[in-house]
Amino acid sequence: MSAISIDDKTFSKNNTGLPESDGVIISPSEPILVTGANGYVGLMVVRTLLSFGYKKIRCLTRSTGKSTYLENLAQEFVDADVEIFKGNLLSTEDCMRAVKGVTVVYHLAAGVEKSYAGCFLNSVVTTRNLLDAVIKESTLKRFVNISSIAVYSNEHIPRGGLLDESCEIDSKMIERHEPYTYGKTKQDEIVLEYAEKNNLPYVIVRPSVVFGPGKVKITDRIGSGTFGVFLHLGLNNTIPLTYIDNCAEAIVLAGLKSGVDGQEFIITDDDLPTSREFLRLYKKKVRQFISIPVPYFIWYFLCSLWERYSKWSEGQLPPVFNRRTCAVYWKGNTYSNQKAKRLLGWHPKVSMKDGLEQFFTYMKEMETKK
Amino acid sequence: MMLNVAIIGCGKMADQHAAQIQRITGATIVAVCDSELLMARQLSERLGIEHYFTSEREMFETVKIDVVHITTPPASHFFLGKAALEASCHVYIEKPFTLNTIEAEDLINLANQKNLKVIAGHNAQFTPVMVRMREMVNSGYLGGKPVHMESHYCYDFGDASYAKTLLGDSEHWARKLPGSLLQNIISHGISKIAEFLSGDNPVVIAHGFTSPFLKSIGQDDIVDEVRVIIRDENSTTAYFTFSSQIKPVPHQFRLYGSKNSLIVDDDNQILLKIGNDDYKSYLRYFVPPLGYAKQYMANFGRNVGKFIQKDFHLSNDAALKSLIESFYDSIVGNTPLPLSHREILLTTKIMDDIFVQIKHPCRLPD
Repeated sequence: MSAISIDDKTFSKNNTGLPESDGVIISPSEPILVTGANGYVGLMVVRTLLSFGYKKIRCLTRSTGKSTYLENLAQEFVDADVEIFKGNLLSTEDCMRAVKGVTVVYHLAAGVEKSYAGCFLNSVVTTRNLLDAVIKESTLKRFVNISSIAVYSNEHIPRGGLLDESCEIDSKMIERHEPYTYGKTKQDEIVLEYAEKNNLPYVIVRPSVVFGPGKVKITDRIGSGTFGVFLHLGLNNTIPLTYIDNCAEAIVLAGLKSGVDGQEFIITDDDLPTSREFLRLYKKKVRQFISIPVPYFIWYFLCSLWERYSKWSEGQLPPVFNRRTCAVYWKGNTYSNQKAKRLLGWHPKVSMKDGLEQFFTYMKEMETKK
Repeated sequence: MMLNVAIIGCGKMADQHAAQIQRITGATIVAVCDSELLMARQLSERLGIEHYFTSEREMFETVKIDVVHITTPPASHFFLGKAALEASCHVYIEKPFTLNTIEAEDLINLANQKNLKVIAGHNAQFTPVMVRMREMVNSGYLGGKPVHMESHYCYDFGDASYAKTLLGDSEHWARKLPGSLLQNIISHGISKIAEFLSGDNPVVIAHGFTSPFLKSIGQDDIVDEVRVIIRDENSTTAYFTFSSQIKPVPHQFRLYGSKNSLIVDDDNQILLKIGNDDYKSYLRYFVPPLGYAKQYMANFGRNVGKFIQKDFHLSNDAALKSLIESFYDSIVGNTPLPLSHREILLTTKIMDDIFVQIKHPCRLPD
């Protein structure tokens, strides 16, 4: 399963989107599996692969539900073989069939549920099944594991300090009371375990907050409307965002680029806005509403009280607001995308200005429909 | 006496059980078990439970266990319940108790033979407001046995935690149950009725169909609308309604007595007494509304008061703790179960009848 490079020039003649100078590990005719292909990012990953000239894409989707967008993609890229594979990663048989002959796996499927068990089952057990299958199949050249920027801890980083790939992973995830992020952390761990035991060629991609048309919610890093009025918590913090097209391209490159096995990449775009800038633009372009600015130290104090009350009352209110979550989302850090640019040759094609414009236009349309 | 507790099945329900068991004095979770090693290990690690297993037999041989909670999908309830009883453990089995009445009878008989306790997870009968309702009924407020009952136990297909998983997976275990999705949900609504029925063989007339919503998304094989009429041997009757389309999603129970009636609104934890007070002329339009307003305010006050006293956890959690605690008390004190075996069997029988009639429906007049 060692990664091999092919002749860059030969490859670049056969595709339209991939930069000519890139060294890649597979040819356009080699089969690729995308799990979670019907999801928000998954769909764009499939589109990007097709636009790069890859011709055999197996798209794993849930066994029920419509795959209209994927079917449209298949019609748009008539030269390509877009296989819509209905299956469940909890089934080892489905996993074996899904990975048959594939050289690169983009693993985007994940458990997005309220419970720890649900997230663990659908992120970790599924990943283990998939890894077992690719080890047995032995055609794999790279496993791209999609994680999240939220798995990092900023406990030892001062306010405004840099959060990058060298930072530590949060080891006290339970205290954050975030089942999704807990599942993602454990998913990463099992990938690393398989890499060590089975020499699995892998890359871990940790996107920041993905935005773009199709998303209808602004990130909690800006603020929260839980209590009936919007509390602006981000204030002057830089918000780590990545536009859907840019994020998908980074993910695709992480599966193709040679020489990056074992690497982890945070994906954020250039020119990240502050929370204030984002919110001002949102109000100007989408809708006006009242927001109450809450300084970090006040919010941290309130989260601390909530956490203590939750413990005292034996969970009468769950500890969804707590000090660790508060720090991760609202303490305020800076971010770097230099590693992804340097090793993947990735550059965000859609500027932040254009990305926000398209996002807000979409949100305005959704508001009008309401 | 400290009870050593084990949980078999480390999915979502196990988390809920564990959270409530940890709040009960005199009980400690000593082991968890799941056929999937990763699931067993994650629960053990998250909650700091000493032992985890992938085989229940190995668990029974290794750790001293007094009570086993079975929180696996229903198809394995009978097999695991039997194994736990044979290992001399008391058993709490999540709803639905078993796949059918035959299995339920076998388990109960085995428990009785071995002088052990087995109970079904009909915790919806133990929400704070249901407990208050029971106290009113026992005090004779209805004027005797209910004349009629109405149980509305509905479900929201917008609930991401379960419905989307179910709808997104044609191989989901709930689809393979004899009663499909219904079997995993309706026992809560049926058991409320069963508590007040006499005899062992009530008449059950059921009609089920697929809602236009599910049809529109291509889920024609799931019955998500059910209407049931039940009558026991003493002519107490009941209506049961299950719907995935009614909004807001109701969980209500109404008891009509020969003297007075009661309405239990489980969603808002409100108990309303419908008194048979006789007011002259127009007074009937003025006095009772004031009385109801007073009752609503009293419900408000009670709920707020319990919340302040940290005794008002979300109704499912509160009910689960209440049932588990009562179950443990009955084990320690060797007292009757909080839910009788008769009720558990009756619930299972009614459900069997419903599923048979839905599978083989009689044609209704146009």
